[in-house]
Formats: sequence, C-alpha cells, structure tokens
Amino acid sequence: MKKALSLLIAFVMLFSLGITANAAERKELNIFMWSDYISDDLIANFEDEFGVRVNLSYMNDNADSITKLTAGAGSEYDLIMTCDAYMESLIAGGYLEELDLSQIPNSENINKAYWSEQNQKYCVPYLMNYIYVVYDTERCPIEITCYNDLIRPEMKGQIGSVDGARNLFPIALIALGYDPNSRDENEIKEAYEWLVKYNENVVAYGSTETNIVSGAISCMFTYDGNTAEAMAQLGEDNTLVVAPFTSDPVQLGFDLYVIPKGAQHMDLAYQFLNYICDPEVMAANLVDNPYSCPNDAAVAAASEEYRNGPAFDFDYKTNIFFQEDVGDAITIYDQYYQMLKVG
Amino acid sequence: MSRGTKKASHSRLPMIAQAGPVSLWMILFVTIPMLFIIFISFMTRGTFGGVEYTPTLTSYKTLADVIYLNVILKSLRVAVVTTAVCLLLGYPFAYYIARKPADVASRLIMLLMIPLWTNSLMRLNAWMLLFQTNGPVNKALLALGLVEKPVMFLYTDGLVLLGLITNFLPFAVLPMYSSIEKLQNAMLEASADLGAKPSTTFLRVTLPLTFPGIFSAVILTFIPALGTYTITDMLGGGKVLYIGNIIKNQFGTIRNWPLGAALSVLLLLITALLIFIYSRFASIEDMEVM
Repeated sequence: MKKALSLLIAFVMLFSLGITANAAERKELNIFMWSDYISDDLIANFEDEFGVRVNLSYMNDNADSITKLTAGAGSEYDLIMTCDAYMESLIAGGYLEELDLSQIPNSENINKAYWSEQNQKYCVPYLMNYIYVVYDTERCPIEITCYNDLIRPEMKGQIGSVDGARNLFPIALIALGYDPNSRDENEIKEAYEWLVKYNENVVAYGSTETNIVSGAISCMFTYDGNTAEAMAQLGEDNTLVVAPFTSDPVQLGFDLYVIPKGAQHMDLAYQFLNYICDPEVMAANLVDNPYSCPNDAAVAAASEEYRNGPAFDFDYKTNIFFQEDVGDAITIYDQYYQMLKVG
Repeated sequence: MSRGTKKASHSRLPMIAQAGPVSLWMILFVTIPMLFIIFISFMTRGTFGGVEYTPTLTSYKTLADVIYLNVILKSLRVAVVTTAVCLLLGYPFAYYIARKPADVASRLIMLLMIPLWTNSLMRLNAWMLLFQTNGPVNKALLALGLVEKPVMFLYTDGLVLLGLITNFLPFAVLPMYSSIEKLQNAMLEASADLGAKPSTTFLRVTLPLTFPGIFSAVILTFIPALGTYTITDMLGGGKVLYIGNIIKNQFGTIRNWPLGAALSVLLLLITALLIFIYSRFASIEDMEVM
C-alpha cells in the first residue's frame, strides 16, 4: 500500500514537472478583438512558428474594447483591437503603450496615407472598411448616386442598413451639407429628422448581406466586406453594384491593434504585429477576410479574385471621411439615435 | 443571556441548516444582482459606457418621456396578445392531453418538449428561412397562384408575434396541463348530476379549479414575452423595438447603463405588480409551476 502511494506521488510529481516545464516554454499572447475577423490558419501558423499560445477573446461592440482599455486592460490583454474614431481619446487618456516601430519592421508595408504620424506611435492598422451604398441593378427602383436618393419615397421597403449612431448620423449630416463629425446639436437634430425619413425606407438593420441575397432588400448601406460576401454568394447571378456616387464622400474606418498600458507580453505583441504585417501572411488572411487592406504589399500579393473583386470596384476610394472623436457630443448622438430607434 | 433565548437559538439551528443554503443562493444570485441594478439606475452614465458613481435621478426623469411610455404600452400590448393566444390555444390542448391515458399523455408532452431541445436561435432562424422572400412559404403561395409577387413576411409585427407565440406556447401548456390533470372526474360528474350543462360545469367547476395553472401560464408567458429581445431583434430586423430591445441597446450601442438599469427596474415593478394581483386571488403556494 505504502509503495503504491509513494509511486503515485512520484508520478504526480513527475507529471506536474512536465506541466510546469511546458508552461514555461509556451508563452501566451492574449488578444481581444472582433470574432470571425482573422483567419484560424494565421493564428495556428503563428503559434507553431513562435511556440506561443494565442488566446483570443471577442468583443460584441466597439464600446467593449474602450471599456476594457479605460479600466486598465494591461494585466489581461497584450493586444486590443479598436477603431480610429477612439484613438484621440485613448492617447490623451494615456491608456496605450507607445510603440517602438523598429520592432515591427514589416510595418513599412503599410500605406502611410492610412496611418497618421500621431497614430504611428500607438497603433498598427489591421484592416479597413468602407461603408458605402450597394444596390441591385435589376430590382432597385432607382439609380443611387448620393445619400439623398436613399430617402426618396420610391425606396420605401428597399433598404437594408448597418446600425449604430456613428455610422448613421454622418451620412445624414453629409446629405444636409454639414460636417460628418459635427458637434452642433442643431445640426445633429436636423440629421435626426433626415434619418427618420431614411428609417421609413429601411426594412431591417443588420444582416444586410443575407437580406440582399434572399431578396428581402434591393439596396444596402453596408461594409465592403459584407458586400464581397454577398457578391460571392450570388456568383454568376450577381447583379449588385457599388452605387456610382458622384460627390458625397463615404466613410472609411480602420480596425487597428493597440497595446494596452502595462501589457504583460510586449515582446510577443510585437512579434504578432510584425507577423500580420508580413505581405504573404496578410495576403493569405485576405482570402477569409476580404476587406480593404492598408498593407499595400499584401494587396499586391493577394489573389486575383480579391484584387478584382466587384465589391472594391468603385472610383471614389479617396473621396472619404473618417469617424472622428466627437468628445462629449457623443451623448447628443446617443440621445437622438435612441429617439430614432424608439420612434 | 436568559435561558429562553438560548432555547430559541437552539431550535433555530435546524431551520437555518435547511433554509440556509437556499437563502444564501438566493441572496448571492438574485437579491444582490437586483440591488446592484437598482443602485446603478441611480448613477451617472459614463461617456464610453460603464457607470460613474455620482448619484442622480436623470434616468428616471428620462423614463417619464412620452416615447418610453409608448414603447412600454406597445410592449405590454404585444405581451398581452401573446399571452392571450397562448392561453386560447394552450388550454384546449392541455385539456386534451390531460384527459388521455397516462402513457399517451406523456408521449404528447414529449412531443411538446422536443422543439425546446434545440437552441431558440435555431428555431428563429427556421422561421426566417421559411418566410423569407424566396423561401418555401412564398414559393408555395406563388405556385398556388394565391399571390402575384412574393409577400414580405420578414421584419413585420405579424412574424414577431408568430415567433413569440410559438416560443412561449409550451410554457403555457405545461402548468395548465398539471392543473387539469389533478381535476377529479368525480367533481365533473357531481356537477352533471346536479343538473349543470357542460358549459356551466366548465365555467363554474373546471375553470375555477384549474385557475392556478392558468395563472402560472400567464406569468410564464407574459413576463418573458414582455422582456424578450432576441425574438424581436431577429424577426423584427432591429426596427420593431420593444422594451427588452431598448434595455439591451442601453447596455450595448447606446452605452447608457443607468437608463438600462432604470428600465429594468420598471420591468421588475410590472412583474411584482402581476404577482401581487395574483396573491389577491389565490395563495402563491397554489401556483402551478410544472
């Protein structure tokens, strides 16, 4: 009995030795980001190549990562995804680690037009997305060339739309001739009134690609990635086109990685950032995530299918606006957005 | 310490041993979270979501706005209709099952439960697939020549109502079934022997005796129907908003947690009121919960 016991203890000790040794070898990188937004192969290859374990946690809303960052996320995460609209506040609040770009040599591949000098110190852009208008040439009652076309009575029951105050209000503000990032309550109120008319034409918010493929809508205000998906599903039967806008700018948003203040595994975070900026790695990632990409070398290395995709076939790619930090005015937006939704 | 109190504390021990774990459970997982919700509802919103711990009544003042009153009325209306339909469909169904021999009844109950084994999102997606513009329902209608072009079922109030009713029907049937099952035939026979017509027997004997089951059915359908948001979100396309959706939005896109908490408190009060009304009619212990 005693012998058996000592044998058992010896086993347990040996076994736990193995575990601790293993844990010491395999370091962990903790990332917080959108789900379904990076290829599983990329993560698996990175884990193999660098002998690292990557733990991905997912957010449901942009506000989630802000909540994490402002609460001090360094102890929990090494990389957090957020978007350009919040960078100003995050830098001002001192929630981010300053980056040493010499540790991310592959970041050379990123087009500086999409990466301001201020942002180069704190973030690495991942993918970007246009939010534009797409319609079905066969089913949509009118040709759409500006945002005001969306509130024409002919469009009733035709539109599917992305949701969210900071996606909807800018198009209304542009249609009315104002700054898309206005902080003026009267302008926001007018935009709200414009959106009430828009809302009447909207069939549903969200699931735009499913709805246009199933025929529930004939026009959508949506992301380029969702459009690429819808067009791929329709295949040969595709009659969707990106609306030929004449003068209204479209929103370009970035999803980017930041290192939260006090992150535990800075070295791994740098390795990961450098890895995803590698043209071949990113090009392979674009197969599963056909969004617009700020990494020029990766786009050049990407598949023909990606580069010639009809979702990216529009000529106003540089007529864009960005979502800016609107400070406390965000509560005014939220208030009118609430009124819009409650009706 | 006097002798009397010592004795009393002695006799309390078994009671604490019995009720203690349950009470602790309830305090940890019901009372404390609820108190926290009430606490948050009196705080200030943080710009990026979350809560700033400065006391204010802003959320409750916002609630007084007529738009929220409209949403609450709209939600109440839908919850009432859902409950009424569930009762009208569920009662005869429960009655039918309860009057069958036990083995048949248990099989029928099983059939009722099987859909609940699947995820509710799957069932909602199934409705969406059936009713989408190029879905089977529309194809059948077109083939039969009943309509000329596809009907837009998706994202309408009607489909939301269908989703709610099908989702909550089993919860209405089960408590009514267990009430009706307990109904003794002797009672009905006595009523008939004393000259009551079947309709009189039903109204004066069956219905009052099965009332606890009916009321449980009301509670089990009305309250979740009032607070639901997944069904209305998916089948309503984010355009048909009820109080549950508004609460969800406060914690998500709108980032106003205190207002979300205040709305939850309001929902809690409505629920408490319902239970209070019930307690005026019958004792809580009689309530059938399966």
